[in-house]
Amino acid sequence: MNRKLLRPPGAADEIDFAARCIRCGMCAQACPYRAIRIAGLLDGLALMGTPVIKAREVPCYLCMKCPPVCPSGALDRRLKRKQDVRMGTALINRNECLAWQGTICRSCYQSCPVFDEAIKMDSELRPVVDRKKCVGCGICENVCPVDPAAIVVAPWSRM
Amino acid sequence: MKTGLLRRAVQASTFALIAAIPVLNRKGITVLMGSLYSLAIGPLRITDPLSGVQAMIASPAVDGVLLFSILIPVLPALIFGRVFCSWVCPQNTISEIFDYISERLGVKRFESLHLAVRSRYVIMACLLVSAPLAGFPVATLVSAPGIISVQTAKYIYEGAVGLELGLIGVIILFELFVVRRAWCNYICPVGSFLGIFRFGKTMKVAFAEDKQHSCSRCLACAKACRLGLDPMGKGLYPLCHNCGACIDACAKTRGGGGPLSFKF
Repeated sequence: MNRKLLRPPGAADEIDFAARCIRCGMCAQACPYRAIRIAGLLDGLALMGTPVIKAREVPCYLCMKCPPVCPSGALDRRLKRKQDVRMGTALINRNECLAWQGTICRSCYQSCPVFDEAIKMDSELRPVVDRKKCVGCGICENVCPVDPAAIVVAPWSRM
Repeated sequence: MKTGLLRRAVQASTFALIAAIPVLNRKGITVLMGSLYSLAIGPLRITDPLSGVQAMIASPAVDGVLLFSILIPVLPALIFGRVFCSWVCPQNTISEIFDYISERLGVKRFESLHLAVRSRYVIMACLLVSAPLAGFPVATLVSAPGIISVQTAKYIYEGAVGLELGLIGVIILFELFVVRRAWCNYICPVGSFLGIFRFGKTMKVAFAEDKQHSCSRCLACAKACRLGLDPMGKGLYPLCHNCGACIDACAKTRGGGGPLSFKF
C-alpha cells in the first residue's frame, strides 16, 4: 500500500498502523504545534479518525511528545531520539528548486533539524537529500519559498 | 432520588470533561488527556475494550500497555454492570434528553423493536470479524461516545468537525421519530461489548416482594425507565444498564418500602 498520508513520528508501516490505531486522537492532543490533524471521512473510511500531518501547513517539529502517549502502540512508544524518526523522506523537484535553477536559496538546508546531514549542499550550493538521514519531518517542505513546494516529503511505506 | 441526582452530576461532568480536556491540553496541562476511546490520567491508561480488542485482532499483535488499559473498564463492568453506559456515556445522555423531548412532543414512534437481544451481539460480532478483514478497528467508526469526544476535541483544536458527527445526528433523529432508544437498546457495539462481562454476581436490579416490600403494580418503575424496559419483568438484562431510575421511582412512590433494589 502506498502511503498517501504523513503519519506522526514512530508510526508503524501503513497497514500495521491502520490496524493498530484506535482513532483516539491522543497524539493530536499531545502535539503542542497542532501539526497532527485528525483525518476525516474525505480521506477515506479506513483512514477516518487517524492522525495525519500536513507538512506544508504545519510540519512536525520532532518534539517527540506524541509517541509515548499512544495507548495502542500504533506509534512506537520507545522512540525517543529525533534522529531515529522515519516518517518519510524529502524529495527535491530539481526543475522547480530555486537553488537547482541557479538562484541562491538555502531555506531547506538551514531549517533542517538534522542539520547538514539530511540535507547537504553540493559543490555548486544545491541541496541534496540523504535518504538515510532524512527523518521526514517536513520542515523543509514547510519553509520552501517555491509554491507549490519544490521539496516535499514522501511518506515512507515499508512495503 | 439520590442515585438520580448523582447520576445527573456524573453525566454533566462527563460533558464538562470532554470539553475541558482539550482546552487544558491546549494550555499545556496534560495530566488528563484523551477521549472516550482512550483516556490518560497521568501515567494510567484506560481504553475502550472494544476498540482495543479490535486493534489487537486487526494487527494482529498484543500490546501490553493496551491490554492492561482495556482491562481497567472491564472491572467496573464485572461488578456494577454497564454503568459506563448509564452514568458516563455522552450518547446515552443525549439520547435521554431527546427521548424526553420526543415524549413531550408526543411523537408517535415505535416504543420497542421486540428484537431478540442476540441481535445486538450479532452486530458486535460482525464488527469484530470485519476488523481483521478490513485491516482496521471498524467499530471505532460507530463508537458514539468516542466520536462525540474526539470531534469535540477536533472542534476545539481545528475549529471544524468531521462528518463522523453525522452518525450522532442520525441516531438522534432516528430515536426522536422512529424507534425509541434504538441505538443504546439494539445497536451500540461499545455497550454490547461491556455487556459481555456480566456474571451471576454482577449488580442487578432485583424485584423481590415480601411483607415489608410489597408491590402495588403502580408501574412507576417502568415509566421511569429511560430505556423503555419493564423492571418488574424478566429479561431485563442485558439491556438494562443499571442507571437506577426505576429504583428511585419505586422508593419514591412506595416510601422506601418498594420491592425494587440493586442486588449483587
